[in-house]
Amino acid sequence: MSVTDQRAPGVRISDLSVVYRTQAGELPAVRGVDLELMPGTITGVVGESGSGKSTLALSMLNAVQPPGRISSGSVEIDGLGDVVALRGDDLRKTRGRHVGYVFQAAQNSLNPLKTIGKQLLDLGRSHDVDDLPGLVKEARSLLDRMGLDGARVLDSYQHELSGGMRQRVGIMLALVLNAHVVVLDEPTTALDMITQATILRIIREVHEERGLTTLVITHDLGVVAEIADRLAVMYGGRLVEQGPTREVLGAPRHPYTRGLLQAIPRLVGDIDEARALPGRPPTLSTVPPDGCVFRERCAVRMDVCETGEPPVLTIGPRVVACHAAGDGESQKETVTTGPTRGEEQA
Amino acid sequence: MTLIGVPGRSGGIAVVRRLAGHLARGLVMILVVTTISFLIIRNIPGDPMAAKYEKLVEQGMSPEAAQQAVNVLYGFMPTGSMWQQYLDYMKGLAHFDLGQSLTVPGTGVGTVLMSAAKWTLIPVLAGTLLSFLVGIILGVYAAIKRQGKLGDLLAISGSLLHGVPQYVLALLLGAIFTTLIPILPAGGTADIMFEPGLNAGYIGSLIQHATLPVVTYALASYGGWILAMKSSVVTVLGDDFILAAELRGMKRSIIFRYIARNAILPLFTILALSLGMLFGGAIFIERIFNYPGLGLMLIDSITGRDYALMGGAFLLITVAIIIANIAADLLYTVIDPRVRSGGEAA
Amino acid sequence: MTATTIVPEARSASATLRRNFWRGVWRVMKRKPSRMLGVVIMAGFAFMGIFGPMLYPDRLPRDTNALYAAPSWAHPFGTDFEGTDVLALVVTGSRYVLLTGLVTAVITVVLGAGIGLFAGFRRGRWDSVLMRITDMKLTIPGLPLLLVLSTIWKFTSAIEMGLVLGLLGWGGVARAVRSQTLSLRERGFVEAARGLGLSTTHIIGRELLPSMAPYIAMNMLIAVTGAVYAQVGLFFLGVLPFEANNWGVMLNLAVFGGGALTTTAALPYLLAPLLAILLLTLGIVLVVDAMDEIFNPRLREE
Repeated sequence: MSVTDQRAPGVRISDLSVVYRTQAGELPAVRGVDLELMPGTITGVVGESGSGKSTLALSMLNAVQPPGRISSGSVEIDGLGDVVALRGDDLRKTRGRHVGYVFQAAQNSLNPLKTIGKQLLDLGRSHDVDDLPGLVKEARSLLDRMGLDGARVLDSYQHELSGGMRQRVGIMLALVLNAHVVVLDEPTTALDMITQATILRIIREVHEERGLTTLVITHDLGVVAEIADRLAVMYGGRLVEQGPTREVLGAPRHPYTRGLLQAIPRLVGDIDEARALPGRPPTLSTVPPDGCVFRERCAVRMDVCETGEPPVLTIGPRVVACHAAGDGESQKETVTTGPTRGEEQA
Repeated sequence: MTLIGVPGRSGGIAVVRRLAGHLARGLVMILVVTTISFLIIRNIPGDPMAAKYEKLVEQGMSPEAAQQAVNVLYGFMPTGSMWQQYLDYMKGLAHFDLGQSLTVPGTGVGTVLMSAAKWTLIPVLAGTLLSFLVGIILGVYAAIKRQGKLGDLLAISGSLLHGVPQYVLALLLGAIFTTLIPILPAGGTADIMFEPGLNAGYIGSLIQHATLPVVTYALASYGGWILAMKSSVVTVLGDDFILAAELRGMKRSIIFRYIARNAILPLFTILALSLGMLFGGAIFIERIFNYPGLGLMLIDSITGRDYALMGGAFLLITVAIIIANIAADLLYTVIDPRVRSGGEAA
Repeated sequence: MTATTIVPEARSASATLRRNFWRGVWRVMKRKPSRMLGVVIMAGFAFMGIFGPMLYPDRLPRDTNALYAAPSWAHPFGTDFEGTDVLALVVTGSRYVLLTGLVTAVITVVLGAGIGLFAGFRRGRWDSVLMRITDMKLTIPGLPLLLVLSTIWKFTSAIEMGLVLGLLGWGGVARAVRSQTLSLRERGFVEAARGLGLSTTHIIGRELLPSMAPYIAMNMLIAVTGAVYAQVGLFFLGVLPFEANNWGVMLNLAVFGGGALTTTAALPYLLAPLLAILLLTLGIVLVVDAMDEIFNPRLREE
């Protein structure tokens, strides 16, 4: 059961909203997100902390933790249906078997008291795998494939592994049940540069070999630039821009994306050229309820941004939600209204 | 960069080092405790040692013979410098010679203590085990239901029982079950009408007499377990690997085992301390229920001015605590692989 | 994040902490009325300890016609073996008990917090030596040690008793404060303040202590209960000189003199001081519960 030629499933996230219950009422962490993961591609979601990207990742498995909940929308996975509608054992079996989730490297995603092998067997038993020796064999070959001594790793405890090794174990556990949709949450954060590069190469290679549909969540544009086919930029719970990675990075249309790119210091050239975005990203309670979420920090802010929901413009393979992006060259493109409110002003 | 290798497992050496540390600390503690005993015996108002010596001489004993007799009683000569006395006392202790008991004339302190030890050890262990089991099970429950009324109730009852001193519990239980509803005996180890030995009557009577002490021990420590387990479970519930297991679709029963095992772990250090506290509590409980264990022996030796016995009982209680510490630590080593390989403890 | 962004945060952190503290106290108190009850009980005991003994004559009246009298309007908790009102004994005895508790708590907290702060702040060799000693102290059985000490020391005054209990009891607080200090250090508190050029006294007095204040206060309350239990227990065991209006002596006389565990006559005499101890415990537990929630936001989760 190593490499299957089963077609990678597509994933369609539509109008997804997640709210968190707080003392100030229910506050939205993710608002009206539409995102399609094409079969067999790697999609990167970029955003600062608090942009709702991790919540979006958890929504893929219908695993938003209380006090949060998915308030509307759906996550359709080919061959599975709407994950948001799944409950109980059906939901549990979807996690792990159909959708793999890889934790942030800095986090300890393994039980410190059990060897990796024992946890692998727990995973197998949870998903009613009859052929446990086969599962171990598969795990070992996956680990070997990622450049580890599989047999030895399975016999180790978490604390005996380095960060990069743990991350590969995390990838193994996400794939060993043959999941074809994989979500990676900050897969390279807190790893050193060389290990980071190795992990990214492994993700790319395994993705291709096994025919996966992959979602990578990161705050690091560099990671996305390296592996993602498509790129989605999140800010304040909204998707502000998405499109093919090269096009978005080459010619960003949303002022936030432009700001992110300008903030990256170049290896060559003047360090002063890197300009940090002024201000801070909004938190749950400071996200403005009306108008554009980015306006406080925006360089091209207009009056309409205060009240009007930015229109979602689809320009070829690209989507951008900004009042300013509609000006200039692309008036001919289709203009769709924002999903939650129709008070769009052109 | 791929095969950094699994860090070495110096398990055995680490355990030996920890054990050696414990033993060294235990020896220092024994030294401190025996020195306190010595200083007190030597400085007791009215100098019982000199009084005894003079009495023996008055009774017609030669000064040398009287000195020897007192030496046998206390472990050092009534005359001579303090340092000489101290060294004699310590030398005696090193040969497990604790002196002679006054209350049970002609018997070594060691023998008297050993016969009392079982009346403390067995009820204390039974009570601890009982409360540990009930406490951790209810502690998990209190943690899971911590938002609800029942969880609150469990936590408050735990705090109250934990806060109330053992003698208050013992007195209340005694007042209820021996005075108001006299269904349990008020004191002693067994009814004298039964012949000690393996007959049903005697054993039944033993159990009947042990009920109040054991239940008091159990109730006194139960509160501590439920509180400690609750906060430990709440901590573990917030750990990443629990969410990770959930996202891998692990079965609830398996996740529950992960939580339980990780949460119980820190409780083993408390186990050692609580055993120490119970030996202190035993003094009250044995006094109240007239149960002839080490605690009662310590009080009787103080009120009966049997100072050799007092020093011996104090020493034995200290040694018991040291042993409890070591045992708890070894147990910890068995269940926590991180300690086993000399890494950091949880 | 760069150093320049950390510094103002750390600076304002303690101020915000203080401001939010009282607001948080009020909210936590309001959420559960039982916590208010705790505060009321504790205030009641303080009142009893300070003014209670003034309500009674120095020598409590005896009614020799009513030995071990049953509870009545005149004697809500009956009388003792010589006909003295039990309630009067409890009230007049409270001053010694509470004063000892207070002295113990102050010594425990001052010594514990001082040693804990010093160890956590200095780290290194000082830390490990101090913690070794603390560990050792924590493992030496306290009550047996007190009993053994009682053979040469009679604890006649409350202050003396409090002093001994305090000197024996600082270990736990020292450990806790040390780990708090270390964790605050880890969060960059101290380095940030150092970076601002603040003196060590300022860092400890203005930055570290305020953020640990509720924690220390909590430990102080726990130390009060510990001291109350220990001294009542010592008197109860009968190894210390008797004094009629002392809770522990009352318990001793009720059980071993009046036979309260075999006959019902002396039961009110036994229950009155027990009730006082239970009530005090309840008050302190409720207040500590509230403080715990103020201090430990993890338990606060909505």
